Amino acid sequence: MKLAVFLSDLRRTEDTYDRLKADKLGVILVENGVYHAVLKEGGKDSPILSKAGANFYVLSDDLETRGFTAAQVNSKVKVVSYGDIVDLIMNDYEKTAWL
Amino acid sequence: MGALKLCFVVQRPPYKSENPRLALTHSISSQTAEIHLEDGETVVPTLIFVGDGVLNATKNQQAMKLYGVTSTESHIKNGLLIDMPIWVCKEDMERLGLKEDQMIADAEDMGADLKTKFVSFAEIQKEIEACPHLLFF
Amino acid sequence: MGVFTMGVFPSLVGSGTLDFSFKLAEAALAKGHTVNMWLSGNAVMMAKKGQRAFKDYSHLEKKMMELVGKGMAITVCEACAEARGYHKEDTPEGMKRASMDWYLAKTFKSDRVLHIGGE
Repeated sequence: MKLAVFLSDLRRTEDTYDRLKADKLGVILVENGVYHAVLKEGGKDSPILSKAGANFYVLSDDLETRGFTAAQVNSKVKVVSYGDIVDLIMNDYEKTAWL
Repeated sequence: MGALKLCFVVQRPPYKSENPRLALTHSISSQTAEIHLEDGETVVPTLIFVGDGVLNATKNQQAMKLYGVTSTESHIKNGLLIDMPIWVCKEDMERLGLKEDQMIADAEDMGADLKTKFVSFAEIQKEIEACPHLLFF
Repeated sequence: MGVFTMGVFPSLVGSGTLDFSFKLAEAALAKGHTVNMWLSGNAVMMAKKGQRAFKDYSHLEKKMMELVGKGMAITVCEACAEARGYHKEDTPEGMKRASMDWYLAKTFKSDRVLHIGGE
């Protein structure tokens, strides 16, 4: 399964994300999910970024809206545009899950 | 032609938000989706409760009596009545201290043959893999 | 090019998720994809006529009409609309109202579905 997961919150109330598995997993950080790409709470990367084998993306518009720039983004995460997200959905992954 | 499997995955507890209820009503509407489709095409839903969403499936809900709204319990039983598979994650029940006898196990009182399945997340993962489209609520 | 269907449930005023949904839809249309949008739950109010734009309030009516003009199909959950006092005559031109089964049937014909549940 090639799955693109959208995360739009900083705090999560469910642990579905931790348990979901996919042969190819993309994690797309949008809205308040973008904080996972830039914050280091307690000096550590967000636990979201520790998902093994996943590819991480962050939406540039939502990042900049919140006062961050691409230069501040964790090296594990690729900065993408809306058009890039469309390509990820339509070309790179088979299904999506907005958690 | 053919059947399209859809996974409806409910992650949130009931009532504070209408979101879990909309998962139930949308999944039940699969019964009439065929009017928009070609002959032989059908939508086959599985309704899955995970995380705190398993709280939707507790029994003895009194929403109609106290708030005048159809309870999530009634919607779940309606789902069983139309033979819609309803799955509840066992690990999340255990985490929340819920036993099977506290949960909606069937809708025999309404004449439904199908029963709720209490399953591991590993089984849910397989169902998610089998569904082309995922609808998380 | 593919068929992309979005199910959108969050509210209009007070939720940035609808803004996200419309920007994503616009990007998908720009790339030549066919885009369908199902508005349900609180999101139905997105597609009600006569909304007044205030500074700093989410106001997407103009964008919505622009995307409809580009061929995007927007359908509103009829029951969710009626429950909120949004009647048939309030539906903007070019948009439809339907029961929930419309959305499920659209998923059947879609290459990709992005279902954005509500709050």
